[in-house]
Amino acid sequence: MLELRNVSKRFSGIPAVDSVSFSARAGEVTGYLGPNGSGKSTTMNLITGLIGMTSGQILFQGQLIQQDLIAYKRHTGYVPEEPHLYTHLSGAEYLTMVAQLRNLPVKLGAQRIDGLLQLFSLHDDRHASISGYSKGMRQKVLLAAALMHNPDLLLLDEPFSGLDVGAALILRSLIQELAGRGKAVLFSSHELETVERISSRIVILHRGQIVADDSIEHLRTLMSLPTLEEIFSQLAVEQDTVSIARQIADLIHA
Amino acid sequence: MLDRRESVRLQLRVLYRQFLVRVIDFEALSVQADVIKLLGQFAAILAMISIIQGGTALLANVDRMPDVARVAACWTMEHRLIATTMLAVGLFVVLSWDATFPSRRDVMVLAPLPVRARTLFLAKVAASGTVLGLCILALNVVSGITWPLVFAHGGLVGIVRSFAAYWCTIFASGAFLFCSVLIVQGFAAQLLPRRYFLRLSAFLQLAAFCLFLGVYFLQPGLVTQAAITNPENQRVFAWLPSYWFLAFFNQLNGSAHPGFALLARRAWISLALSLPGAASALLLCYFRTMRKIVEEPDIMPQANGWHWSPSLGSALQTAMLLFSFRSLVRSRQHRVVVAFYLGVGFAVALSCLNIPAAQQDLARPSLHPASLRFLISTIVMMSFAVVGVRVAFSLPVSLPANWILRVTQVHPSQDYIATTRRSLLVLAVAPILIGSAAFSLPFQLWRQVAGHLAVLGLLGVLFTELSLLRFHKIPFTCSFLPGKANVQFAFWAYLLLLIPLTEKSARSEQQALADPLRYTLVLGALGVVSFLLLVWNRLQANSAVLSFEELPSVDIMGLGLGKD
Repeated sequence: MLELRNVSKRFSGIPAVDSVSFSARAGEVTGYLGPNGSGKSTTMNLITGLIGMTSGQILFQGQLIQQDLIAYKRHTGYVPEEPHLYTHLSGAEYLTMVAQLRNLPVKLGAQRIDGLLQLFSLHDDRHASISGYSKGMRQKVLLAAALMHNPDLLLLDEPFSGLDVGAALILRSLIQELAGRGKAVLFSSHELETVERISSRIVILHRGQIVADDSIEHLRTLMSLPTLEEIFSQLAVEQDTVSIARQIADLIHA
Repeated sequence: MLDRRESVRLQLRVLYRQFLVRVIDFEALSVQADVIKLLGQFAAILAMISIIQGGTALLANVDRMPDVARVAACWTMEHRLIATTMLAVGLFVVLSWDATFPSRRDVMVLAPLPVRARTLFLAKVAASGTVLGLCILALNVVSGITWPLVFAHGGLVGIVRSFAAYWCTIFASGAFLFCSVLIVQGFAAQLLPRRYFLRLSAFLQLAAFCLFLGVYFLQPGLVTQAAITNPENQRVFAWLPSYWFLAFFNQLNGSAHPGFALLARRAWISLALSLPGAASALLLCYFRTMRKIVEEPDIMPQANGWHWSPSLGSALQTAMLLFSFRSLVRSRQHRVVVAFYLGVGFAVALSCLNIPAAQQDLARPSLHPASLRFLISTIVMMSFAVVGVRVAFSLPVSLPANWILRVTQVHPSQDYIATTRRSLLVLAVAPILIGSAAFSLPFQLWRQVAGHLAVLGLLGVLFTELSLLRFHKIPFTCSFLPGKANVQFAFWAYLLLLIPLTEKSARSEQQALADPLRYTLVLGALGVVSFLLLVWNRLQANSAVLSFEELPSVDIMGLGLGKD
């Protein structure tokens, strides 16, 4: 469904993403992992069309997304890493605005907004200004905005951020449910246990380049390592974490 | 490790620097914004006012005037300089409304650090005081040198005394106004729960703004010896602080007229009350309210709210129009910007309207033809409303939240630009048309009013199209790049060029209203120009890309060899 071919992005000559190629298929959950600064969010921004790439191609359903960016945006839902919202609007006003911007029929939009607010436990606070929402509530508004138009491709950047245990469990099941209904889900998270549990495939990015792109089972077998955490540490973590922790403790004690 | 005193001094320096740049909200600015340039532009406007006022001292030639006329001329100028300084301070207070008080962000960031409330208080007061002082200084940089020479009595000592009296009065009047507002804010913050205080504070800000502008433009200019001693006028002066400080200056300068004695006493009393009053209000806020700020959320969720979402055209038009309306109504910063333009427009309109003559018109039992004053004032209001709302449109409400408009852009850019036009027409042009109709229909001949409203509507469309030239943005979403609009030139250009032009246009319109053929020609010409501008803007919009980040125009084209 979504395919990246040799995608690169440079900022002032410095590569943030370097010749990245992978695909997110319909009915699959693709986990997109990498340490801080590895280029995950840049890739997400490239896929959503928020920034332009330096070279390469991004295809959606076999078509270059730049050929008809507007049509492509109709099929995608995006949850960004930071819950930035127009905080002077209420939750209901924000979602109504997004439904109108996405050209959803009025009645259908209202029904879906009402349903999503109920299911995300935001209904009681729907008329309160978003500036008074907690981080978790804001994250739920983002999720509702990304889902309301029933997108074929879901791009989730740290979607569990700020959610309480109950909401996180719902989201985990929701991602699997949506993939089961034929959606392509690309999600990036630092919660390796969750990624391991729900992803069909894993793409690991390190210093802007892909260092692994395979199913978890195959990676485990290939690397003879039992968990995703260990695989990730082996491929993307260069530092001796225990030693650095000791150095930090020594430094503040000195 | 630093000792305690050194540590506090360092904290004070660091916080002072932080607060100094935060007296004005810079978060709305473009990443490439030149803050110094922005502040320089404001300083240039103030300094220009000072140069004009100061220049008149050289041309005034008061020494050759007879004594009575000389005294009246000096008092008039002294009063104008004091009143203008108080207005500038008032506007500064409105623009930096909360800057002297602890904010939620200050408390959340600084409370976990070993910073005393006292240090925070001193740093904030010092930062606000510095900006206020610079503002007063810029406004009097020339007039504060030339006029004390005119006001001085006898020899070098007299000149020195006049200088000292002038600057003491200017700073004292500014400090009085600044402290008075702090007292109202501070005690409101003490007495009300925080969320109610925040709501009241927004209204107080607008009320203060209207009060300062209203008093400046509507206060009587009664500065002759006879007027000062008139007991009727003394009752009016008792309510006008600019006259108290006029008396204060004359007392310090050793030129006090007996009629000033009571007023000068008022100035001293007001200073004696406002300075400690503001200090105690601020101290209470810093030592009592800090915890309240954390404990009580700024906005409480409301259980039974009302979600109003009427259909205003297509889905996109409805979404954008409601977004613009809500941003304008709910964002304090944007409300103040629009109120500023409307206030200045209103003041100019009032000065065109000639209140006593207008009152006579209103008192007439029969309907009368549209007066020239009415035509000028409505055109002035229309131009200021369009410019004010358009300026507010170019200030973002939340830059990081703009991503949603970009990822949901399922319409071509020209559709968004068309909604911007519609928003400007609904939020700026329509209210002025409705207000003008409501104000004039009961008193003036309806045919003339209808004729003028048609012209005013077309002028509104014309101003809208002019203000949308190369404006390929969604309202409230693009970062602001100071300096691009060259405010300091636009401000003077408008005052020197457009106001006389407005008067001329209104005169032609008045003649046209009495001559159907001429009226048709005027309406036709306006219609054609507006239509051509509309077509031009639409053609430009067809190939436009929506802008979310304002970038400076490049004078020298870079080859970008080091970039991608």
